[in-house]
Amino acid sequence: MKRSPYDRINWKRELHFLPGYIVLIAWIAFAAAFLLWILAASLSTSREIFSGNVFAFKTGLHFENYAKAWRQQNVSRFFGNSLLYAVVTCVVVIFISAPAAYVLSRYKFFSNKMIRSSLIVAMSIPAVMIIMPLFSMTTRWGIKGRILLIALYIFSHVPYTTIYLLNFFATLSRTYEEAAAIDGCPPGKTFWIIMLPLVQPALVTVTIFNFLGVWNEFFMALIFANTEKMTPVGVGLLQIVNAMKYTGDYGGLFAAVIIVFLPTFVLYLFLSERIIQGVTGGGIKG
Amino acid sequence: MNRKRLVVTVVLLMAAACFAFAAGSSETTTKKAEGVYSGVTLNFWSMWNSNEPQGQVVAAAAKAFEEKTGAKINIEWKGRDINKIIATALEAGENIDVFEEDYRRIGNVYKNYVYDLTDMAKAANYDAQSYACFNEEITKWAGFLAAITEQPQVGGIFYNKEIFKNAGITIPTTWDEFLAVNQKLVDKGYEPMALDSAYADFFFGYHLDRRIGQAVTTELVKNGGWSKNAGAVAAAQDIIDYRKAGYLAAGAPDEFPSSQNKIGLTGKVAMIVCANYVCSEVNNTTGANIDWGMFNYPTIAAPAGSGSTNAYAGANSLAITKYSKNPQAAFDFLMLLTSGEYDQKMANAASQIPADPRNVAPAIMNGTIETLQATSSPLSWSMGLNANPDIKANVKTNIIALFEGKFATGADFAKAMDALYK
Amino acid sequence: MRNDKKLIIGFLTPCILTLFIMYLYPVARTLVMSFFRIESVTAATSTWSFYGLGNYAKIFHSPSFKSAMWNMVRIWLVGGILTLSLALIFAMILTSGIRFKKFFRAAIYMPNIISAVALATMWIQYVFNQDYGMLNQMIRFFGGTGVKWLGTDLKFWAMLFSFIFGAVGYYMLIFISGIEKIPADIYEAATIDGASKVQQAMKITMPLLKGVTKTNITFWSIHTTTFFLWSMMFSPVDTEAATIVPVVYLYNTVFGSKGNSQRDAGAGAAVGVVLALIIVAIYFVMNRLFKDDDVEY
Repeated sequence: MKRSPYDRINWKRELHFLPGYIVLIAWIAFAAAFLLWILAASLSTSREIFSGNVFAFKTGLHFENYAKAWRQQNVSRFFGNSLLYAVVTCVVVIFISAPAAYVLSRYKFFSNKMIRSSLIVAMSIPAVMIIMPLFSMTTRWGIKGRILLIALYIFSHVPYTTIYLLNFFATLSRTYEEAAAIDGCPPGKTFWIIMLPLVQPALVTVTIFNFLGVWNEFFMALIFANTEKMTPVGVGLLQIVNAMKYTGDYGGLFAAVIIVFLPTFVLYLFLSERIIQGVTGGGIKG
Repeated sequence: MNRKRLVVTVVLLMAAACFAFAAGSSETTTKKAEGVYSGVTLNFWSMWNSNEPQGQVVAAAAKAFEEKTGAKINIEWKGRDINKIIATALEAGENIDVFEEDYRRIGNVYKNYVYDLTDMAKAANYDAQSYACFNEEITKWAGFLAAITEQPQVGGIFYNKEIFKNAGITIPTTWDEFLAVNQKLVDKGYEPMALDSAYADFFFGYHLDRRIGQAVTTELVKNGGWSKNAGAVAAAQDIIDYRKAGYLAAGAPDEFPSSQNKIGLTGKVAMIVCANYVCSEVNNTTGANIDWGMFNYPTIAAPAGSGSTNAYAGANSLAITKYSKNPQAAFDFLMLLTSGEYDQKMANAASQIPADPRNVAPAIMNGTIETLQATSSPLSWSMGLNANPDIKANVKTNIIALFEGKFATGADFAKAMDALYK
Repeated sequence: MRNDKKLIIGFLTPCILTLFIMYLYPVARTLVMSFFRIESVTAATSTWSFYGLGNYAKIFHSPSFKSAMWNMVRIWLVGGILTLSLALIFAMILTSGIRFKKFFRAAIYMPNIISAVALATMWIQYVFNQDYGMLNQMIRFFGGTGVKWLGTDLKFWAMLFSFIFGAVGYYMLIFISGIEKIPADIYEAATIDGASKVQQAMKITMPLLKGVTKTNITFWSIHTTTFFLWSMMFSPVDTEAATIVPVVYLYNTVFGSKGNSQRDAGAGAAVGVVLALIIVAIYFVMNRLFKDDDVEY
């Protein structure tokens, strides 16, 4: 029974939430102050930033910081690259990880524990130790290019996504599969049509995380994106930071950071709709 | 599900469009000039980024070289993190002809992968257009001339000329003279010395060098024995007294770059112990127009001190790979980049010291060329305090604590240092 | 379920291939390297010389590594308790029927999206600055004297707190997606039976979140061991004992550092192995503690 939250304000009910509101608002007040500072810094000069006068805007709003950051650093190319890498990675990773997570959570077979442990170990060795030997190998064999970088992004997110989805699949009731089997649906199809949509909130959340991970990633890109044409946002931002430090243009640095942050913000807003849609409990009752 | 598919398709189309856009930007082909090196391709791994002033000068020099000699230079802009990947690339035999790196690493870490430049340098009379100290140091490490200096750095005490003039200060050469200068500045209402915690070990290392010499510092750092070394204890005591006398700027040691920025923001702070890039860094970041000067860190004569007058000097340099197919072409390009016109352009664009002493240092780097030419045994960064990787981070924290006034006497500091060797 | 062998193999193969292609060689190599004396991390095996447990002895005797491990333990324990508790509390508040849920959720998660470079600079220049920072200005407003937040005593806590503030949102989202999965009828039934909101939280939500909590603790442990960028931002130019963490120690050991070109890839590998073992140990302990095979809904 859905009630529009706006038709009648039940004050007694709202009062129950008061402590919650207080905690949230206190936290968010600080978060807002911090984010506003960064925004204000992007419209300031270095001098103002380092003398603590970011909010005073004594010399006005410096929108040219944004223009400069965009033009000077070829930001559109960074975006194009990062978007390509992130989208492809997010999509392909689901196709590799979700089935694996499902199988690992559902079936007991002898290598189940071993595979799970391997995934954990894969995630816990510091990335440097994984990447350097790979770099050495690919250099010796002459493998290069965008395909390599994208493949590596995909591979490097598989363990994380698999472990993440594993726990969500584990809590799904087996009655769904039993019902589907009774209806004559083969187990593979059951997975794609029934089970996978049931963990939609988890899928969306992990996709957001993966997207951000690839979008902001810089170490692998630094090593494997060896021409400026392939450079994604993470490395680009690092270049901007270094350039700004030499020229002392911290206002421009923050402008670049905001520019880089905006697409992810938009994506988050867009996808966060999905997180709310939980399992409505339909399908099987009683 | 349908909406999701639509979204995914749209996003993929956008991505494809961006991809096409990114891939489609082709380079304008320049007319190939007939020249000495036509047909030669050089692969250059740069430690700069294409949008930095240094990077832009390198690109311009490359273009000039291409037009003059018909060679083709491919530049890959790796940024500062080239130091993480160049070793692996060299070991794997990656197709590189020239790369840029810290000259200390070229001479120590990559020496088996770089070309011996001694003969080519002699033929080009390189000695006349470079600083002897760098050439000698790198020859000492690698056994041969392994790199061409591109971006020299020098350290010392950098000061605000106007404050010194107003206070009637003459440049000190000994530690006692220096203390007197600090006192005079305080009396006239200035704050003598800025200090950020990031450079605390640089400052203390200099002072240790003046008391006991860099070699002894390195020994102490590696093996301990601080309490037994009177000079080290005295050095720590000097710092404690310096702080007690009120010669550090308000709030020092502060978090980088707050203290050094005070030089530009308040106009009341007079000096800083750092390397030459601090001048343009402060001017650019604070928007101030400080008239900078520099003098060598004051000495302490024997027997109380080591009598050392060495200055910190470092360089980012260019090296040619051992397996390069066109070493001479590469070398000629390096000569073009690091001398004469393009070197002057580099120095002016980035406000740094020219690699060619015959050029003119930009005003903000006044006095640096002379200091470098007078340097015979350059000091390393932090003068040996970084020599022991096992305790490095703790050493630095102890030194910052020393400047914070956490130790009552020099002996306490030495005891804290010795505790690291149990 | 036995005929599903083909299904199992089919579904698992891409994942296993990933492990083989990307991880098998580097992980095995790291493990082996930790027992040898090696200079460059990508050196050919012919240059390796056997060293037994020498690398491990070296790092465990190293005061800087010990400081790094101690910092990491504090981040994991103190940071973990604070972050996960706050994340859980926020998740529960946000799923309890409060208004403006989407706004709050976005606002808490926002710091996680912004580049750590900008965030760290903001914390250092805006919040912790001695002269005009937010905290000291608030203190002075109430008549106190400013605190040196980034001095050697407090720097670690300043760094930890800055990191926690951004991390809470991430774990909160994971908890939310776990809570959202719990069907509303269970809560309705409990309310009908007279359970209060707090009782519902303790007896329904928390047990059903066992799996998600396990995931969060595992991920938190991994984020702790790979804590890197914040440490570098709070100690620019060079590492300090107050902020050093194992991965930073690893970087300095493998690549050398300012003014010191010595490299020791064997020791770096040993650090990597130690960190991995810690994670695996935590994961197994978690699995013991949070047995959730019996929970389905």
